[in-house]
Amino acid sequence: MKLHFDIKKFFVYFFLVIGALIMIFPFYWMIVNSLKTGQDMTAYPPTWFPSNWFNFDNYVVAFEKAPFQIYFMNSVIVTISCLLITTFTTIVGAFAFSRLKFKGRDLLFSLMLGLMMVPFEMLVITNYTTVAKLGLIDTLACLVVPFTSSIFYTYILRNFFLSIPDSLYYSARIDGASNWKYLWRIMVPIAKPSLVTITLLNAITCWNSFYWTLLVINSDTNRTLPYGLYAFMTEGGSDTKLMMAAASITVVPMIILFLFARKYIVNGVARGGLKG
Amino acid sequence: MRIKVEHLTKRFTDTVAVDDFSMDFESGKLIALLGPSGCGKSTMLNMLAGILPVSDGHIYFDDDDVTDMPPQKRGVGLVFQNYALYPHMTVLENICFPLEIQKVNKNERIAKAKEMARLVHIDEYLDRKPKELSGGQQQRVAIARALIKNPRLLLLDEPLSNLDARLRLEMREEIRRIQQETKVTTIFVTHDQEEAMSISDSIVLMRSGVLMQEDIPQVLYDDPNHVFVASFLGNPPINNLDGYINDDGDFVLDDQSAVIRLNEKKGTKGEKVILGIRPEAITIGPDYNTKAEILERYTMGKEELANIKIGTAELRVYISRDQDCRKGDVIDLVLRDKGVFLFDKTTGKRL
Amino acid sequence: MVAAVKAKKRSGSGIFNTTWEPFIYLAPFLIGIIIFTLYPFFNIILISFKEGYRQMTGAFESYGLDNYIHILTDPYFINAIKNTAVYVVFVVPISTALSLFFANLLNQKIKGISLFQTAFFLPMVTSVTAIGLVWKLMFNDRIGVINAILGLFGVDPIGWLLDPSMNIWALIIYGIWNMMPFTIIILLSGLQNIDPLYYTAAKVDGASSRKQFFRITVPLLAPTIGLTCIINVISASKVFGELFPLFSGRPGTAYNLFTVVYYIYYEFNVSYHLGYAAAASVVLFLIVFAFTMLQLYVQRKWQYY
Repeated sequence: MKLHFDIKKFFVYFFLVIGALIMIFPFYWMIVNSLKTGQDMTAYPPTWFPSNWFNFDNYVVAFEKAPFQIYFMNSVIVTISCLLITTFTTIVGAFAFSRLKFKGRDLLFSLMLGLMMVPFEMLVITNYTTVAKLGLIDTLACLVVPFTSSIFYTYILRNFFLSIPDSLYYSARIDGASNWKYLWRIMVPIAKPSLVTITLLNAITCWNSFYWTLLVINSDTNRTLPYGLYAFMTEGGSDTKLMMAAASITVVPMIILFLFARKYIVNGVARGGLKG
Repeated sequence: MRIKVEHLTKRFTDTVAVDDFSMDFESGKLIALLGPSGCGKSTMLNMLAGILPVSDGHIYFDDDDVTDMPPQKRGVGLVFQNYALYPHMTVLENICFPLEIQKVNKNERIAKAKEMARLVHIDEYLDRKPKELSGGQQQRVAIARALIKNPRLLLLDEPLSNLDARLRLEMREEIRRIQQETKVTTIFVTHDQEEAMSISDSIVLMRSGVLMQEDIPQVLYDDPNHVFVASFLGNPPINNLDGYINDDGDFVLDDQSAVIRLNEKKGTKGEKVILGIRPEAITIGPDYNTKAEILERYTMGKEELANIKIGTAELRVYISRDQDCRKGDVIDLVLRDKGVFLFDKTTGKRL
Repeated sequence: MVAAVKAKKRSGSGIFNTTWEPFIYLAPFLIGIIIFTLYPFFNIILISFKEGYRQMTGAFESYGLDNYIHILTDPYFINAIKNTAVYVVFVVPISTALSLFFANLLNQKIKGISLFQTAFFLPMVTSVTAIGLVWKLMFNDRIGVINAILGLFGVDPIGWLLDPSMNIWALIIYGIWNMMPFTIIILLSGLQNIDPLYYTAAKVDGASSRKQFFRITVPLLAPTIGLTCIINVISASKVFGELFPLFSGRPGTAYNLFTVVYYIYYEFNVSYHLGYAAAASVVLFLIVFAFTMLQLYVQRKWQYY
């Protein structure tokens, strides 16, 4: 009986270790290769470790060849602007859809849910024309403007708002609080965990956004990290170790975010579903 | 503050929750709005608070017509059944909230909040969050928050229903005490007749949106105007027997299995009636005229209850402990004057 | 009296908000949706029927089905549909089966499980472009680690990214890896929602772990598995970003690996045939729409869970 138990446990660990290694191997490989020298790279079979773990030359060269610091700042600016604006529109929108009463509310909300299944890929053609007419092509603003509202996040937050008892609202209103005051003083603080989750999911999506950026950004100085990285690959030749250094710069911030906020992100995905 | 309600009606799409309700609520009293669930008592409360718009009729606070006045201007304090405390705020912040909205300066509102906390005996827990408090303590916080803005009227929605039995007894005394200390006119909603009887100055009994009877608890119990009022109040409940009035003015069970002599001959001959007999309204003795069989006896501490059978009708009555009778015995009994009522069978009204 | 009744009616709808107030709250949200989702959605459908459409001027020759006729007879589009279908057919079942296996292991209460969970979930937060570059390196026919490992088993080097017939397999392997974290999270949360009493009861009845898995876990998890599959089919149908790092922006070595979204991108951004891109977009929408309807149907049917 005891032996049986141990064998089972052994197999659980065995497969978990194999699986985990496969899942994180690309990350490991990215870091390792970003630290390799030109000589390391030519070895076959490839070496599992760099010859010097503290060889940061590739990072230095990558920064010399392309302005990754600018890409990084652009990504930060775009992501933060997106988060601030989207979170605001999501909060007020979800409030209207959950707490305020008006004619046609449910119909309007159903329409929104219907629109949720329209793939973004379908909208880019017209949206490109729209931002072009607004004169925003090839500016950081056009990476933010089309993404100021999210039906998906509004839907998640609305559902959370609906779970807050009506009596809190009535109580606050009887005490003389306005809708605005009630929203920001009572509802938003209570919904903090949901808001954190939404913000994190949104941050990941913004940071990794590629397709739209590819379409609307040309100038070197307006590139964000994923696009900068792609451009670096197509323009800067095929020096793999430099590319791995550049990829690390793109990926590591999100890994750090994930390690710190894993619980919120995982809960958000488990509850809400879709990635991107 | 005196509250006057005139022809108050609330219609929802397919039901009438409150139907042509008119009455005066006396100032400074603790008043119970009592009734079974769905009788419209909560609707009534919400209309007084201003949460629900009225369909018809008027509400006056003293001489002001507040019918169309928004809730925040009415000067009412409302305590919800689930207390509606803000979970992210401490007890102190919760109690302060109404004054925060009124932009009262911080020191002043904290001083006032502490005074309120002392009144409701919650001053030791000012820094706690609601979820760290027991149900009774949360209730106290909710009352303090409702009272801090000196409301003209305090409304409590099922204040004791979320508490366990022991806390319920404690909190109902507390509500009584707080009301008497503050003298604020207080209306509370409950479906529990015992709760209403034990602490209120006056009970308003409702059924299906209609006011049935309104009076001090003892009058409601001793002098109900309707079979519903008699049935709703009292535990164990009143025994209702269906029958008619015979030539002598006495009561005969529908199946004629027994005749019960009435002390007051109120019914007219042949009239279909309901005879209500409170459990305490019989006396047992050798010379009495109604025969009954003892079906079962239960000890209730100082008193004893018995199930008895008169003809085919079963009744639950109190008997004294030293009454010498056992299961299966046949006894003689007579009705007392108090606690026996005749109601019209069709309308349910008291004869 | 009549006036009084009227006054009441007015206040009736808005004791807590005036009639215009909700729209002030809605406006910031709605403006974004109307301009960047609602309008483009209908506009693209319209464009798909415009023949000879010019993007900036908006000029076109006539309404008709030309765009649809073109793409449906365009071998590249047919190929895109085929590739996308192959991708979906391999990626979704394999990643779901693997995810189910690992979700079960990750649901065990053993030491270090949260560390393992972190490792399995990690790919979820990364950009397909950045980590795709790493896969490109791993798939390299000469210095790639995948060929090196296969070499240990005596397999000759495979030209994953060079040989057109192998391209799609590279994409599929990368796709499976990419899809697993999300699927594991959903399945794991489904597993954690199963009442442990079922397992206790089964243990009392002496059911083996294997039996418990197939007789309790799988049936109770079936709705979750079904929904994840559909969601994954939808997201796999939009495969696109993965192509850029693997094939340096081309759809496969020899333009052999068009996908539906890549086709839209290509017609729109490379060959400037907006009408074709619009028609292909509508086709994509119809695919997504069909699977979303299926999802809603399944969700409704399994409501009793």
